[in-house]
Order: sequence, then C-alpha cells, then structure tokens
Amino acid sequence: MMKQSGKWIAVSVTAAGLIASLAGCGTGAGNNTSGSGTAGNASGNATGTSASGAVTLNETGSSLLYPLFNNQWIAAYQSVDPSVKLTAASTGSGTGISQAIAGTVQIGASDAYMSDAQIAQSPNMLNIPLAISAQQIMYNLPGVKGHLKLTGDVLGQIYLGKITYWDDAAIKALNPGVSLPHKPIVPVRRTDGSGDTFLFTQFLSDTNKTWGSSSGPNYGTSISWPAVASEVGAKGNDGVVSQLANTPYSIGYVGISWLDKATQKGLGYAALQNKSGNFVLPTQANIQAAASTMVSQVPASERISLIYSPGANSYPIINFEYAIVNKQQSGATAAALKKFLNWAISPSGGDSSQYMTPVHFLPLPASVAPKSQAQINQIGS
Amino acid sequence: MRKVSSASKNADRVFRVATGVAASSPVVFLVVIALIVLVQAIPSMKFNGWHFIYGIQWNMGNLYGALEHKNGVTAAAGASYAALPFIVGTLASSIIAILIAIPISMFTALILAYRVRGVLQWILSILVELLAGIPSVVIGLWGIITLAPWVRDNLAVWLSHLGPVVPYLRGPVGTGLGLLSSGLVLAIMIVPIITATTRDLLMQVPILYREGGIGLGMTTWEVVRYICMPFIRDGFVGALALGWGRAMGETMAVLMVSGSAMNLLPHNLYSPISTMAAVIADQLDSALTDASQMAVHALAELALILMVLTLLTNFLARWLVTRTGRRRSTKAGVAA
Repeated sequence: MMKQSGKWIAVSVTAAGLIASLAGCGTGAGNNTSGSGTAGNASGNATGTSASGAVTLNETGSSLLYPLFNNQWIAAYQSVDPSVKLTAASTGSGTGISQAIAGTVQIGASDAYMSDAQIAQSPNMLNIPLAISAQQIMYNLPGVKGHLKLTGDVLGQIYLGKITYWDDAAIKALNPGVSLPHKPIVPVRRTDGSGDTFLFTQFLSDTNKTWGSSSGPNYGTSISWPAVASEVGAKGNDGVVSQLANTPYSIGYVGISWLDKATQKGLGYAALQNKSGNFVLPTQANIQAAASTMVSQVPASERISLIYSPGANSYPIINFEYAIVNKQQSGATAAALKKFLNWAISPSGGDSSQYMTPVHFLPLPASVAPKSQAQINQIGS
Repeated sequence: MRKVSSASKNADRVFRVATGVAASSPVVFLVVIALIVLVQAIPSMKFNGWHFIYGIQWNMGNLYGALEHKNGVTAAAGASYAALPFIVGTLASSIIAILIAIPISMFTALILAYRVRGVLQWILSILVELLAGIPSVVIGLWGIITLAPWVRDNLAVWLSHLGPVVPYLRGPVGTGLGLLSSGLVLAIMIVPIITATTRDLLMQVPILYREGGIGLGMTTWEVVRYICMPFIRDGFVGALALGWGRAMGETMAVLMVSGSAMNLLPHNLYSPISTMAAVIADQLDSALTDASQMAVHALAELALILMVLTLLTNFLARWLVTRTGRRRSTKAGVAA
C-alpha cells in the first residue's frame, strides 16, 4: 500500500518535473565554484534552457540535520540556484529513510545509515554523507555546575534501570568533589524513529556489556527500551530539550545542532569517556580528532559507524549526516538533485564554516568528500 | 396518466445511482478498511500468536541484524511483539476520562438546558462547542506546558496523600507525564461531545413531565433525578459510548502527555503509559524501516485490536441500555 502510493506520488512529481521544461539551473551555475572536480558536471546537464518552471526538491527526516537544512541551506541555496525550490521537514530519521525509499521525498535526511537488509531490498538507495555531526548527553541538575563525567557503561546502567539515583556510587566515583543530589534519575528518550536513538544506543552497545549482548536492547532508530518506571519519552530533539528543561533531575541525549538552544535553557552536558579512557567534550577539535581516526575505513558505500572511535582526544558519539537518495531520478530532478548535493558537500558551499559553525557540525573530511561525490554521480544514471 | 419524459427518467436513474453510491460508501469504507487492517495483521498473528495480547515486551528486533524466519513469516532477529501495556494504557486512560467527564458534562448540560436562557444560553452553548473544536495537538501542547507540571507539583502530590487508603494513588508521582495527565486531557476532549449530546437530550424531555413533577412538589434535583434522567438514560449511555470511543482513539494529545512508556505496565496513577493509537503514530516511521515489514504488520494488529475494542465498548453500552431498560419496565409493570 504505502509503497504503491509512494510510487504514484513519485511518478507525478517526476511528471511535474518534466513538464517544467528541464529548467535545471540557468543563471546560478556560475556561483557554484566548488572546490571539488566533478561538481560542474552535474549542472552541465541542464544549463541553457530558459528557467521559467522550477524543480522542487523535498527533504524530510532527521531533526538533527533540520536546523542546518532549514535555517541555513535553504536560504543560501536560493542565491545559488533560484530555479530550485527546497523544502525541509523535521520528522525523524526513520521517516527520512522510509519516505526516501517510498519516493515521496527526493532527499531523506538521516543520522543513521540503512541496514544491510534494507539495502538488499532497495538496492537503488544511496547513503550520501553531507557533514559530520555529534551528540551530547544533557542533564537538568539544579545546583551542579560544570560538566559531569560519564561513561557509556554508566549511561547504559541508567537506561537499564540499574542506576536510579544521581548520588549512586558509580556516578560519584566518576565525579569526585561534585555534590550530587539524592534524587531519582529521570531518563528521557526519543519515541519517534530517531537517528539520535541509533547513535546513542550504538554507543551503549559498544560500552555496556548487557546492552550490547545478543539478548540486550542493541541499537536501531527505535529499540525495545528496558522498562524503567521513571523514564519518559519525547518526540524529536526539540521535544527532548523541552522535556529536559521542564523536568529537574532528568538526563537525555540531544543532537549537537541543538546544543546552544539547550544550554540557554540551563541544561548541562557531560564529558564522555572515550575508548582511550579520557573524558572529552564535544568540541570541534575533539569531533575532528574522532573523525580523522575513522576516515581511512570509510567504504565506497559510506555506510559506517563512527561511534566510539580510538584516539586520545576522540569524542565518542559522532556520525555522518546522511542524505538518503534514490539513484533512479528523471532528468530535471536528477540534475537539480546532483547540483544541490554537490553544493551541499562543497567546502565553499553548504559545508562552509559559516553554515557549519552555528550548528557545531564539521564539514566532510577531504578524503571522504570524493566518495560522496562518486555516489552523487550515480544519481540519474 | 402523465407521460414520463426521458429526461426525468434519466434524472431518476442518476438519482438512484448517486444515492446508491453515496449511501453505500460508509459501509464500503468500513469493510475495506477493516479488511486491509486484517490482511496486514495476519503475518503478525502468525508470528506472535496469542502472546501478542498478554505479553509485555514490544521489540522490533535488531533492525541492523539478520532476518529470522518463524511460523512461515520473516522478522528481524530477536523481534517479538506484545501489546498488553498499550491495551491497558488505552483502557485505563479512557476510563479515567469517562469517570471525570460524566459528572462534569451531566451538570453542564443541565445548566445549559434548564437554568440559562436566551443570549447566555446561546453563548455558553457556543463556548462548549468551541471547546470541542480545539485541535487535539493544541490541547496536547497545553498538556505538556501547563497541565503536566501542575499535576507533578500539585495534584499528584495531593492525591498521593490518599495513598495509604487507595494503593493506586501511592507515589512516586513521577514527571507529570503519565496516566493521570492523559486521563485529564482526554476528559477535556470528550466533555464537550457528551455535554452537547446530553443537552439536546435534556431539551427533548416534554415540558409537561417536568411541570407535572414540579406541580407534585418535587425539588429541582428531584425533577432531574426522577423525571429527566430516566427519560434520557438510553441516549446518555449512547453519548458516553461515543465519548469513550473518542477517548480510546485519540492520538496526538495523549501521545504528548502520556510519557510514551514501553515494556511497562502502569503501577500507579502517575506511571507513564502509552496507548494503542499513540504507539501506532509513534512507531510507524521506524516500522517502515524494518526490512522484514513485520513491524508494520504488528502495528496493523494493534490497530485491529483497537477497532475491535471500540466496537466492543459500543456493544457493551448498547447492552447496558437494553438490559436496564427491560428491568425498569418489568419493575414498573409489577408496581402497577
């Protein structure tokens, strides 16, 4: 059912695209001075027509990517290519993946890559990293200043319901000198299909034995959470942030693009223990350090976890922000899509620091960008 | 005999087809939707069996792992679906809502029907209907921002003092998101429906009956209790069934204030819960990423149970009406 209606919408979208007389890019092409080699090819397909009709590219998914896409990229891309209309929606990574497969959107945004089983079913789907993001553990602890030190193992025990009070011996041992209140911990988690849940539970699977065992909760965009009576669910990163702000003594995981908003509301965030045993904050340098240890292992399909990477300064929860795209697209849509994605990953375009810094993202590493480019070039072929 | 022109014959034919199509559409839609839900649910029934109704764990399995085969169907490794917490959450929150809504809507309807007149009646009636028109997401937002903190800091704390008497009121009071807040939000949403229906029913009570009661020296309350309420009883139960059905199916507002519990049965009035409708809305996007599709089938089975439960409550209400109705008439017969 779902798939069929998705196809129909896709057909009508592509039909609308064709009627729009292959508008492509026209005037904006000159602005696209991408540092990377193949970027020009994409726009070459559709130049030369008088641009009266417009191609619409719809994005939906990750609430972590949303502040970047909606607040920065859409406005910026208007001047690059006025003939392309971009729309964005913050619906959660699970939706991003499923809508991109169904064809109701051209770009599904996701913090999580697709599983092998899904790729086997939908071999036309590409997982294209656009930028590097991270996730921080945030808490509402009245009276506690500075950054708590936490390990993945302790977080796992909190979400398993084994550590229930803030002054538990395990938390105290990590934070000598901090006066922790004897209050029940309120763990907050996402209820929607979420890339942040994927990242957080992957971190727990890597660091907590029970969590990662074959009978444990494991990881995914939505998992079977252990029963914890004090736990509450919230929808989207915005939901988690407001839930944390409203609930004293709560803890939760929040995508880094929401860091500024959350700290303004009085939430603190933790220094997490990395694989080398050091406690690190999600600073630009530490995210960069984690990314640099992983770049050499990125495969051509680019579906890889960057969680809990080695290195003395590596921040343990970082990830690629993916655009989930169907490579089978009709001419005008394919051209517009390729051009936009090439712009998005270009260090002088979407990945420039003026867009990355406000959301604390990092641009794609120079050695990964060509792999994303190779995937982008498969679109429409 | 008047000669029937071909034009009017055609018009009659068109009329017949149009009314036929329009009149059959509710039945057709109901049957088609029920069939699709049923067909979608069958793989989940095969996979989970009866365990689906009495088990507690809702587990999509490892969506990034291998697929497993069981009972002739495929699912993600480790998947096992059971919906008891969601069924309990749906019933508990809707029953709390009904219990709160019965007195409020009854008394509001009495005031609207008998006590206020003219412009005031008109304004108050419009306000009640406006309350029914507030989108559920707005009520949910109010629930998160205003109601839940108030429940956490005031109402729940106060109610928990009754803990020694009623075990289900015992603390801890939690975060304010949970069963009590869900029930309150649902009550607000069904009060206008029940009130409007009850008001119309009360206005149908023949004025002679009421005047007769007053003429016999009955007080206002006695007129309501012995004349109006028996008169509207059947319709009132129908209104309650309508409200109950609405409360069980309500999604967005509950989703926002329920605390979205998983794998957990409520242990007191303040526990986080989840309802079937909220789970379907919440989990569908992740379910669609399940390569085995079993997660979607399990949600379809949940939808099927919700439909069946709504039907059952409807039948229950009807049965209550006929049963009490029959008893009364026999009693009256004996008395005469």
